[in-house]
Amino acid sequence: MAVKRDNSTMFGVSVIEGLTATQGDGARADETALVEAVRRGDAGSREALYHRYKRRVFALAVRIVGASDAEEVSQEAFIRIFRGLPKFRGDAALGTWIYRLAVNAALSHRARRPAVLPEPAVESAAESPSSFAPEPRDLALRRHLEQALTALPVGYRTVIVLHDIEGLEHEEVASILGCHPGTSKSQLHKARAKLREALAARGITADELLGAP
Amino acid sequence: MTTCVRGGAGLSDERLSAYGDGDLPAVELASVREHLEACGACARRAEALSGLARAARALAIEAPEPPPTLWASIEGALDEPPRAVAARSWGRLGWRTFAAGALAGAAFAVLALLAVGALNEARERSAALPHEARGDRGPASGSEPGPRQIDPLLAEAEAELARAAAQYEHSIEKLRGLVAREEAGWSPDARARYADRLARLDEAIARSREAARRTPADSVGHEQLFAAYQDKITFLAEAVQRGGGGASPWGEGGR
Repeated sequence: MAVKRDNSTMFGVSVIEGLTATQGDGARADETALVEAVRRGDAGSREALYHRYKRRVFALAVRIVGASDAEEVSQEAFIRIFRGLPKFRGDAALGTWIYRLAVNAALSHRARRPAVLPEPAVESAAESPSSFAPEPRDLALRRHLEQALTALPVGYRTVIVLHDIEGLEHEEVASILGCHPGTSKSQLHKARAKLREALAARGITADELLGAP
Repeated sequence: MTTCVRGGAGLSDERLSAYGDGDLPAVELASVREHLEACGACARRAEALSGLARAARALAIEAPEPPPTLWASIEGALDEPPRAVAARSWGRLGWRTFAAGALAGAAFAVLALLAVGALNEARERSAALPHEARGDRGPASGSEPGPRQIDPLLAEAEAELARAAAQYEHSIEKLRGLVAREEAGWSPDARARYADRLARLDEAIARSREAARRTPADSVGHEQLFAAYQDKITFLAEAVQRGGGGASPWGEGGR
């Protein structure tokens, strides 16, 4: 899966290996071997594949359907992944294919239960045991960001999660959502504008974003 | 657009976003850089957008750990033997074709919901335009309106909504065909209950469709419509899946 890593761009943010899987030839070969082992029915490899992607799939589910339904959606996603793996042809990167199944599982779930709004993925300051101490600025911003995300329509939220949080390229976002890269770009722009509005409604102005870590 | 120190309109948020993402065409890159070097206001907005992007990316680092029970529940589900009914007829009846259609429906649905936002903005923009730009002559002209400009965003949004609905309806039609094959073996009572439930689901779809039609820019209306489609798909899928297992799909004494 390609991830934005171009530090010459303004938003090019270095990412942590293991969370966003930029792959060299060695890593790709390793992943191919893992997929083959899972196809052969090796239980250990199946579990290894789960551990490799569990946090990203679960985080995606939390942000699209909310924390209370994320386990159910993650389970459904991994069942689709393991049952579909024999038919995985490698046309797309494994990570992109896994994201596609996870997004489909989350959207199907949302379509069945549209009235249930996801709760914020992080605890609120009022509930935090450390709320008596001043909250570091970057933590407060991230908390507001998580909460503002939940206020967006699911489509906008999905585009922001895939591109801005998970760091996927527009081509991959488009492949996952079944649209053109140009549509992904235009929708991301609109989604960001809505996110800034949602943040502003929470008292987070552009000035607060200056120098964000 | 924002007035900036260079006079006139500053760089749009969209261009600044594209610049920050590295998506700006090469021909525009130099001029945007030059503008940002000279214009503190635009540079400040660019930095705010950059800060938002960095904060969003930082959320990936904080990806929550799934509960330890998750793997056990996945393993348990994977190790379950396939249902007898699925082995009996699912492949023959073209379940896979349907499943692909249903997934495509879900993907279309999210695109359509994205399009609702675009639709809303297009309408707001159209409303803000002078009458001449919209292609009409204003309320006081008393003459026939001129040809109306078609906003591409509006057209795109409406097309996406129509495609999503068509995709769901295609899946439903396919499933109804599958149910029709099974239905002959049901008891009259089971058939009556099936018809009753189907009628209620159709009513829900009709209500949601009407609500979505009345407020096309409200994403909640469209989400409800797609949820109603999804409910019908789930119901029909269960009817096909459970109908061959010997038990009634509609309660006691069905078959």
